[in-house]
Amino acid sequence: MDFKWTDEEQAFRERLLAFLEKTLPDDWERFSQHGPASPELTRYAEEFCGKLADEKLLTPHWAKEIGGEGLDPWHQTILAEVMWIAGEPRGGQYMNVNWIGPTLMKYGSALQQEQYLPEIVEGKALWCQGFSEPGSGSDLASLRTRAELVGEEYVVNGQKIWTSYAGLAGTCFLLCRTSDDRKRGITILLIPMDTPGITVRQIPSLIGEGDIHEVFFDDVRVPASARLGDEGQAWEIIGYSLTNERLGIPRYSLARAALDRAVSILEDAGDFDDPGVRIEAGHAAALCEASRMASYAIVSKRAQGEKIGAEASSARFATIMAERRVAEFVSEYLPEALCDAHPYLKMHHQRGIVAGIAAGAAEIQLNIIASDVLGLPREPR
Amino acid sequence: MHLDFTDDQRAILDALDSLAKPFESAPIHDAPLAATSAELNSAIVEGGFLDVAQDPDLGTTTAAIVIERLARLPFAVEAGASAMFRPLLSDPSSQPVCLVDERHLARPVRFLGEGATIIVVGDSVRKFGAEAGVVHSEPEALFAYPMAMLSGVPDDAEKLNIPVGEAKVRWQVAIAAEIAGLLAAALKSTCEHTTDRNQFGRPLATFQALRHRLAEAQVRTNGVYWLAMKAASTLDPADAAMAALHAQESAKNCVYDFHQFLGAMGMTLEHPLHLWTYRLKALIGELGGRGAQAQCVADKLWPAR
Repeated sequence: MDFKWTDEEQAFRERLLAFLEKTLPDDWERFSQHGPASPELTRYAEEFCGKLADEKLLTPHWAKEIGGEGLDPWHQTILAEVMWIAGEPRGGQYMNVNWIGPTLMKYGSALQQEQYLPEIVEGKALWCQGFSEPGSGSDLASLRTRAELVGEEYVVNGQKIWTSYAGLAGTCFLLCRTSDDRKRGITILLIPMDTPGITVRQIPSLIGEGDIHEVFFDDVRVPASARLGDEGQAWEIIGYSLTNERLGIPRYSLARAALDRAVSILEDAGDFDDPGVRIEAGHAAALCEASRMASYAIVSKRAQGEKIGAEASSARFATIMAERRVAEFVSEYLPEALCDAHPYLKMHHQRGIVAGIAAGAAEIQLNIIASDVLGLPREPR
Repeated sequence: MHLDFTDDQRAILDALDSLAKPFESAPIHDAPLAATSAELNSAIVEGGFLDVAQDPDLGTTTAAIVIERLARLPFAVEAGASAMFRPLLSDPSSQPVCLVDERHLARPVRFLGEGATIIVVGDSVRKFGAEAGVVHSEPEALFAYPMAMLSGVPDDAEKLNIPVGEAKVRWQVAIAAEIAGLLAAALKSTCEHTTDRNQFGRPLATFQALRHRLAEAQVRTNGVYWLAMKAASTLDPADAAMAALHAQESAKNCVYDFHQFLGAMGMTLEHPLHLWTYRLKALIGELGGRGAQAQCVADKLWPAR
């Protein structure tokens, strides 16, 4: 076991920090309070990701032949940590580099890879994830949005909900039903969001403006070539995608940075001498580090080329525990941060609400751990 | 960063597993609360497993791996203090090694008995050999370690050239690594019981009320393991304090749940669960307990400006 970063990895982190220093605007911390999917942050993210791409820092962990630098998963982790601590100036594009791109590389046709990967590498793409439906949240396999193959086209009808980034996304990674088989009847279509028949309505959210939406599909027609993989292959594909998604957001790093910031503010105010406050800060820090190490254990496996399974859910739940404890610490000891006194802490707090809900609810992660890590018998259905 | 075992660590673990195999079954029924085995203890000492940290290529990380693995056994073996401290001692001190917090001399000490090596951590670090007169055994203690009280520290205890800070770090690492192994074994035992035991026509483990809390215990156990390993590797005071804190906090969270999930079997000595959980109870309070570890985390991460 070796817990040290290499000199090269340290240099990579320093390079990213220097890039942020020279690129982010002076009022970035206040600006980043705009939700990650807000029009303001989305517009800024396109400019930011373009610059990141120019420096070959947007997709450094992708293979060289598709526009990356061929760096290992540790570099992806460092990149994600640095960006999340900074308030994720990549906006919704983080999704592209974390899981949309890798999923297209593994399952996409040559035509789909040619169509979508270059614009991701250049920092010009924004995707949304058409998964949840009004009747299908945690029970995703019950989804009802239907795609019927009519000649050479799929005709899509149905509704998605709580869809992040849908207001400004160019493409939807859509789960839809092509047969009645619960899991093997689900298929993925890659649908341009300007296709006739798609209507998007924004849902006000705690995260910030423009973040989540309802998306309606009324006789939306797309060519059969928009299908990712085979009909009925969606469950396998999103299993791969969600493992990347669950690991792709190092919330522990932002939580720890927010905790450090909160402690610094409390120290300045002379309020960090109270043993009760110090003890609570210690607990929050330990949870952040436990989450970090659970994630690193998985990155290490991935760097060795090993397959990642249910342990990603364990790492994800550890992150939820850390995220909550830091948010509670700030609420209790620095409530003024949730007004407008400390923009960075407010930004962390706004985004933290997502931790246990998005990309599979916390309870789903616990079910996965119970069955697939602990090997417990499943609940009867 | 590379978090897999090295070839040497894997070989040591394989050897340890072979040695431990006959001791994986728990003695139950009329056994005392603590299960110990002189045969197992001798095999571990003679096999050199408690001295792995003396090899710089293996170091304290390998010591923590050994501590964690041995803690999974139903038998209580003094490994933590020996594996972390013996490399620092100039003479070959006898095992068991007992760690004593000078602020809390009235508290029970694990493995304390005549002939034990006692290391007292206070304003300095001192060592002495336990003689019969200073040891008062506590055979009825509600812990699954052999426990005794220490009546005093002799004036001529040898002052060791070990900084107090380093002694605390090593102690915290030993606590965290041992708790990691105990939690893993107690969790496994609880999962086996709840899988085998049927109520309302199906295994207890199919009820979500239990599944989720067991899954949370897995998340905690995994976190404790990795924080312990990292702290053992870096010997950084903040890492060690976070490891010990997360370990003690997780032990507190899990112990009563595990017994609860066993139902009435969780009250008996016919099931071995207590052989792990009643060791966890002892470790929760060691070195000042969670409050002291949390304050230590704050001191090390955010030192006064």
